[in-house]
Parts: sequence; structure tokens; C-alpha cells
Amino acid sequence: MEDVQVVAMLVRRCVAGDAAAWEEIVQTYNRRIYNICYRFAGSANDAEDLTQEVFIKMYRTLTSYDSSKGAFVTWVTTITRNLLVDHFRKTKQDRITDSLDATASSREDAQPLSEQIQDQSAPPDARVRSREVGETVHAALARLSPELREAVILRDLQDFDYREIATVLKVPEGTVKSRINRGRAELARLLQRTYRQVM
Amino acid sequence: MPDHTSNGMQCHEFDGLLSDALDGVLTGLQLDRFQAHVRTCSACGPLFAEVEAGRNWLKDLTEVEPPVSLVNNILASTTGVDTQRLRVNVSAPQPRIGWVERAQAWASGAMQPIWRTVRQPRFAMSFGMAFFSLSVALSVLGVKPADLRQVSLRPAAIRHTYYNTQARVVRYYENIRFVYEVESRVRELKRNVTPTEPRSGEAAPVKKDHKDDTTQQPEQKQERNYSQTDSRIILASAPMGPSVNDLPVVSVTTYRRFV
Ligand SMILES: [Zn+2]
Repeated sequence: MEDVQVVAMLVRRCVAGDAAAWEEIVQTYNRRIYNICYRFAGSANDAEDLTQEVFIKMYRTLTSYDSSKGAFVTWVTTITRNLLVDHFRKTKQDRITDSLDATASSREDAQPLSEQIQDQSAPPDARVRSREVGETVHAALARLSPELREAVILRDLQDFDYREIATVLKVPEGTVKSRINRGRAELARLLQRTYRQVM
Repeated sequence: MPDHTSNGMQCHEFDGLLSDALDGVLTGLQLDRFQAHVRTCSACGPLFAEVEAGRNWLKDLTEVEPPVSLVNNILASTTGVDTQRLRVNVSAPQPRIGWVERAQAWASGAMQPIWRTVRQPRFAMSFGMAFFSLSVALSVLGVKPADLRQVSLRPAAIRHTYYNTQARVVRYYENIRFVYEVESRVRELKRNVTPTEPRSGEAAPVKKDHKDDTTQQPEQKQERNYSQTDSRIILASAPMGPSVNDLPVVSVTTYRRFV
């Protein structure tokens, strides 16, 4: 996933006060972190704030990164995940779900989920359709419990392997696999229910 | 889940192989047994269909673009350097500057940390309170805030007004510490009345107060879960090694896009 030597060098330069090295780290990882935060927290605003918090945290603790203990991306993702846990505890689940409903239908005509899906038969434009499906799945993801949500985000959206996910979540690989399966199944059930309402 | 044997495979064994099967890493006899169990088990068959469907739904979630200002805001909130502004400044032609302007620039540079501190919400609050008490004090002494605005800002005039006011305040309050406080507030007030630098492109601090952020370093092997009750008392000043704090973090304020 990353060249250990290159990243270790980058981190060393950064710790030594090389601003260009830090900018390179920010450039390399901001997209991944932003996407994890966005899919987990649900809203773009929260994702932006959280991503900044992650980098502030990284910047302060960069000296504690030990390349012999694991990949930099795992370390970065662990910081991200820990901040997401804090964020989740601060903002209660129902608040996240509410804001998600608002975000999912950020089109001018805010509609409930089921109506959005009904709409899909009308516009033939495949791109619009896939975007709407994406929004629906994004909204369903927010309804998963945080443990299942983070597991499927790391596996299915970020392509981490089970061992890396186990490191980030600090649970055994078996638990990781089980959470991923339950998360996927729960998501399918939520979406099937939504579709059935429409039909 | 009912744990019965179907085609030589138990349901809990099936559960363990589910991810591998979907990843396509299951082969040979194990794959055959797995597939046979899917076909015959009334619990695992539908479960497999759901897990597979869920995974396919997630494929519809493509990566989203972060806001264009994100990198810049991150750099501003970590190194304190707004690279975009820096670039603009570098490319701008340098006009000839006299010693007065240079002195002003120096002064504004020196005031920068103070000004940054003052803009933080908690300081803004105490500054607001100080301003309030100052205006109360001044009105008690017969100085209207409106008059204050008319006050001449020539150095000599400021000194005159300032010492006059101070003399009266000293007479009114005998608490030396309070006088010192008012003195410094007056100084800040004068500074703020004459901003030395236009701050158009600068993002304002966002409302969030991250004081209760209790995030620990990842290497501290402490389990984190979502249901844990908030009984922790550790605040933002959670101890980090002295070397960790060496990096000059300017501010923990996060910036929002302002375009
Ligand atoms: Zn079974």
C-alpha cells in the first residue's frame, strides 16, 4: 500500500521541521481521511472539521510514529478512527442520522428516502441515477451501528485487509470479519426494506 | 443462528468462511462444501445473499472529492502558514517602504500572536467582559463610549486622554491589580481601534471548541468503543511527551472554507 522507506523518510524530514515534507503528507492522505470521515460522520461539514482535527493530531504526535510497528497509513487511520469514536460520543447517534437525512437529500427538493428511489425510474440519465443510488446507500450506511459501519467502510470503501482493520480497531481478525458480514447484511436489509416500500 | 450441520459444514464454520468466499480466496473442497451449505441451509443461504448484496451496494459508493480549500486549511491550522496567501504575497510587487511603514509592519508582526490569542472565543469572551467593565467605569467617570471614538489618535493626544482617564480610575479604584488590568485593556483597545493589517483573506475561527477532545495517541493500546460512557475527566492537556510538543502547532482552531 505504501513504500515504507519513502514514508519513513518523509516523516523524519517532517519531524526535523521540513514544511515541504509535511505538505506532502497532507497532500497524500487528506483524500483518504476525508472520505473515511465523510462516510462515517455523514456530513461534508463534519468530515472537513474532522479531517483537520486528524491532521492537527498527526502533526503533534508525528514523533511517536514508529515505522517498525506498522504502516503509516494504518497509524493515520487509527488516529482518524479514534477521533471518529470521540465525535460519535459527542454527537449522539440520532443527531447524526438526522443530519444525514438532510445531507442525503441535499438536492433542492428535499425528499424522504423512499421517494428518491421512486424517482429513479423517471430520469433515464444513468449518472444522475447512480448518484442517487449512492446517496441512498450513504444514508443507509448512517443507520448501521458505528461498529459495523466502520468495519465496512474500512473494508469495502478503503480496501484495507483484515489484519490492518484488526490493528486499527484493536479487535481480533475474526471479529473484524464477523462485523463486516453483519454490516453488509444489515445494509442490504435496510435497502431492501426501502425498496419494498416503494414497490 | 441455528447451528446445525448441513452438507458436512456447520453454520459457525460457514460464518468464518463467508468473507473468504466473497473475496474469492476459497478453493477446492472447502469451496464445494461452502457452496453446498449455501444451497441447503435455510439460515445461511439467505444470509449469504444479503452479505453479497450489501457488498455490492457499497460498490456504488464512489470516492468523494474533498473541498478544494481543505489542504490549505489543514496547513494553516498546523504549521500556521497559509500557503495560498504566502504565494500571493511573494508574487506581489514590493513597493518602496519608508521607515514609518516598516515600523508599523514590525509592530503588526509583533502584535500578531496577541491578536491571534484575542480572536479565540474564550479570550473574546473575557475581552468582551473587560470592555464592558471598562465602559461602565468610563461612564461612571463621565466619559461616554461615543466620546471615546472621537478621541484623537495622535500619540500625544492618546497619551493625554489615557493618563487623564488612568488618573481618575486610580482615584476611583484603589485596587492596583485592577488598574493594571484596565491599562492593558486600554492598550489592546487602542490597538484594535487601529488595525494595522487588512485581514481580508483570513478565515475566521470556526465555532467548535475542541477543549474536550480526549483523543489519545493510537499507540496507547487503549480500547475505544462507541458505547463507552463519558466518565473521563482528562482534558485537552492530556500529557504528551515533551518532545512531542516540540513541533510548533500554532492553533487548534479548524478552518472552514470561505469562498
Ligand atoms: Zn447454515
